[in-house]
Amino acid sequence: MRNLLWPVAGAFTVAFALINSRVPTTRAADAPVTFSHQIAPIFYKNCSTCHHPGGAGPFSLLTYADARRWAPQIVRVTQNRFMPPWLPEPGYGDFADQRRLSSDNIDLIRLWANSGMPEGNPAEAPVAPHFASTWLLGTPDLVLSVQKPFHVPASGSDVFINFILPYPLQQTHYIRALEILPGTPQVVHHANILIDRTASLRRAHPNTWQQGIPGMELLVDSGNSFDPDSHFLFWKPDSPVLVEPKGMPWRLDPGNDLILNMHLKPTGKPETAQAQIGLYFTDQPPTQHPILLELEHDNALDIPPGVRNFVVQDQLTLPIDVKVLGVYPHAHYLGKDLQGYAVLPNGQKKWLIWIRNWDIDRQSVYSYRHPMFLPKGTVLHMRYTYDNSASNIRNPNSPPIRVEAGNRSADEMGHLWLQVLPVGNPTLSSGKFQDPRLLLEHAWMEDRLQKDAGDPIALYNLAAIDLAEGDYNQSILIDQRLLQHDSANARTLTALGVALEGKGDWQQAQETYQKALTIDPVSTDARFDLAGLDMKREAFQDAASQFRILLSNHPADAAAHSGLGVSLFNQDDIAGAQDEFQKALALNSQDFTALDTLGQIEIGAGKLPEAIQLLQSAIKIRNDPDARQLLAMAYAQSGDLSEAVDQLQQALHLRPRSAITYALLSRVDSSMGRWKDALDARKQALLLEPNDADGWNDLGVLEVHLKETALARNDFLHALQIDPSHALARANLDRLVGQSQVH
Amino acid sequence: MPRSNVFISAKMASQTVPVQKLACLGLLCLSLLAVLELPAFAAGSAKSSYGVDLTGQPVPSLTNQQTKAVVLLFVASDCPVSNRYLPQIRRLKSEFEPQNVAFWVIYPNPADTASVIRQHQKDYGKIGEEIRDPNHTLVQLAHVKITPEAAVLLPDGNGFHEVYVGRIDNRYIDFGNQRPHATQHDLQDAIAAVLHGNTASRPTGQPVGCFIVN
Repeated sequence: MRNLLWPVAGAFTVAFALINSRVPTTRAADAPVTFSHQIAPIFYKNCSTCHHPGGAGPFSLLTYADARRWAPQIVRVTQNRFMPPWLPEPGYGDFADQRRLSSDNIDLIRLWANSGMPEGNPAEAPVAPHFASTWLLGTPDLVLSVQKPFHVPASGSDVFINFILPYPLQQTHYIRALEILPGTPQVVHHANILIDRTASLRRAHPNTWQQGIPGMELLVDSGNSFDPDSHFLFWKPDSPVLVEPKGMPWRLDPGNDLILNMHLKPTGKPETAQAQIGLYFTDQPPTQHPILLELEHDNALDIPPGVRNFVVQDQLTLPIDVKVLGVYPHAHYLGKDLQGYAVLPNGQKKWLIWIRNWDIDRQSVYSYRHPMFLPKGTVLHMRYTYDNSASNIRNPNSPPIRVEAGNRSADEMGHLWLQVLPVGNPTLSSGKFQDPRLLLEHAWMEDRLQKDAGDPIALYNLAAIDLAEGDYNQSILIDQRLLQHDSANARTLTALGVALEGKGDWQQAQETYQKALTIDPVSTDARFDLAGLDMKREAFQDAASQFRILLSNHPADAAAHSGLGVSLFNQDDIAGAQDEFQKALALNSQDFTALDTLGQIEIGAGKLPEAIQLLQSAIKIRNDPDARQLLAMAYAQSGDLSEAVDQLQQALHLRPRSAITYALLSRVDSSMGRWKDALDARKQALLLEPNDADGWNDLGVLEVHLKETALARNDFLHALQIDPSHALARANLDRLVGQSQVH
Repeated sequence: MPRSNVFISAKMASQTVPVQKLACLGLLCLSLLAVLELPAFAAGSAKSSYGVDLTGQPVPSLTNQQTKAVVLLFVASDCPVSNRYLPQIRRLKSEFEPQNVAFWVIYPNPADTASVIRQHQKDYGKIGEEIRDPNHTLVQLAHVKITPEAAVLLPDGNGFHEVYVGRIDNRYIDFGNQRPHATQHDLQDAIAAVLHGNTASRPTGQPVGCFIVN
């Protein structure tokens, strides 16, 4: 099983055009408020980002004439705080890029409008900002376009539609920034971008996906291994460029789709929308790995008609220390009062966000100005209040009807998404959960199960976590529970196969994979895992056959090319293996197995600089002790012994109880004449593997170098005890005895 | 669009107020205009006119002999709320015009010149018989302040009797506060009422949209 199921939200980092502006905060009591002196700076800083020609705002606010035309409306919408769009209550979460106007500025606008909207001295006005009509960050590295223009009707309800944009490249790329050109800005209210790792939505709508798939929320299948969603990719007109923080790019692999989940508003005339997404790459993989957590209790969303204060709550206890980077509250039209807060272990309450008057039309992701530290044991709370009465004018049902959770705008939702970054690298006392995000995932899924004991997503993910942590029996129990309700689920069968394989029951594992393939013959995961099992059994020919079948259906599966390469390598078809590894790397330059094994091949071929380069790339992707050990060998053979020692020590840091690594370190130390270090390393190796006759022989040799001949003699004897036919130990012993007789 | 053109048109349309209007300026001018023009709203009066059409010609009459009611719909080409109501206005027109209701689409903002209106109708489709009202003759007759806003007038001897003024429906409560669909169709109900000889109810909420400008 290579996949975890994940509900996905969109995401976000805001970077909107900064406008040089000066907003005078004081003025003489009797001095007139003028456009040039006070009003233009306010508008240019807070309004023109959307209100410019070609922008998302319905009119422009760049000139005095513009301001005069719209002054009465501006007074109204600033007084009632409809504009600029900003929902969070001040003081309940310290957010970056706040759009809330100060009361002083609102008063200035009112005073100006009421005093006849004087222009003042135009020379005093700042230069109006300029907005490019094309990509703000320059030409993107890749532009994805919605396949067909979407026709928005002239009138009627808002449209919620999902456009699928397949990632067309055959290589993995990391994305440092994203920009959207909406095509018809005034139609597009906001957009969420989801990464569909397995093209699940496209596969679910094979004939209609190019027209767009209706719906407000989506659940997509998020791909191979533990790869949780980590970024809000939330777009709104005033923040068209999403630049990720340093060290936190997101990833696109061949076969991934981007889903553009759009909220479109009819304007009164038929419109067409055809958005483009611009992607900006970086060659630096992420160094920090956030995760998105969700609080929700959709099962409790069953709101009787007429009820004005229906409360839905959820809570989640943090199993580790985290920093909260951002928050995305979400409800539909009945949501009124949305609260998110954290109660720390010491009882202190910290507000994550409070929105007193929820409005889906102005929803947003909010990033904290400074990441909010929350210690282990903190309880996150969501408390949403809904109004299903006729007095809620946003109520989509008139008269009100019973409303439950659902994907249509007339249904309801209650989600509080948080982007959190684990602090440190905590592990359980048992040494489980090396990736701290697994602890968060585990806590989240347990929380889901408490709300719904049969929640298949929670069960599936918990089984996956148990599997990842090596608790095969528990994983098998959960998978069997899932199969009781859905016996023909190829995905669960594959997961069960992996757990059985982990437990060592390879025959049952093989049968289970084959059963999954009977149900779904093109299941890449079942086929991949069956091939992997064949490799473990050293049935390399069988493995190669399975990988070839998989590749006939999915020729762009880099991991399958890599797997085939390993199968061929083990059948001594080095040229064939190299060819497959090259294909894998052409598809995914970050394929660890291909880099690692090619590195090994190059060492064998004596091409040491090439091997070093490949293995250096490999360890950048995965800090793997075996890869470091191979790299050490390449360095050692190149004569760069100190680099070799460094790599071996790092490998030992990653895997302290490795006899072979100590043994290699001992060899390299001895090559450098560092007899004492070599002796210590050899002793460590022998502590871990005391029946290694070669090791005792080596220890003896090192002791001879250190003039410890008595000890050396004993150790040669020890080697011969373990292996009486050990010729080298015998020769060394004889030589030692001979020397002592000479002396 | 230069405003001077607008004022030339306004003067052409205001043939009933020759001397006073030419002699006045600014706000005073507008108030004089209102006072002098109001009595001119006598249907069939040879001297009356009701704004201008897109060729700049005065509109001499809002009614014909069969007209039972006149609906004035005030719109602005650049007002987003007004534009969102255009399909609804078109539906009302097609429903009631066969019942001898005269529908007029009024552009009261001076910046909505003939060419701007033509482009607007090209973008949004023909809505109805349009009148430019840059000197606000009809605005003051109907007592409107906002686009979109509607008035229903009944022919009354040589003039009109206003029986409804206000919002089209209750979809918008305020900026940022709107229903997904209207639940109360004030204008439609008012027209239906007067066609049945009943009294039109006053709207229960304010119109929401863009202020009419001079």
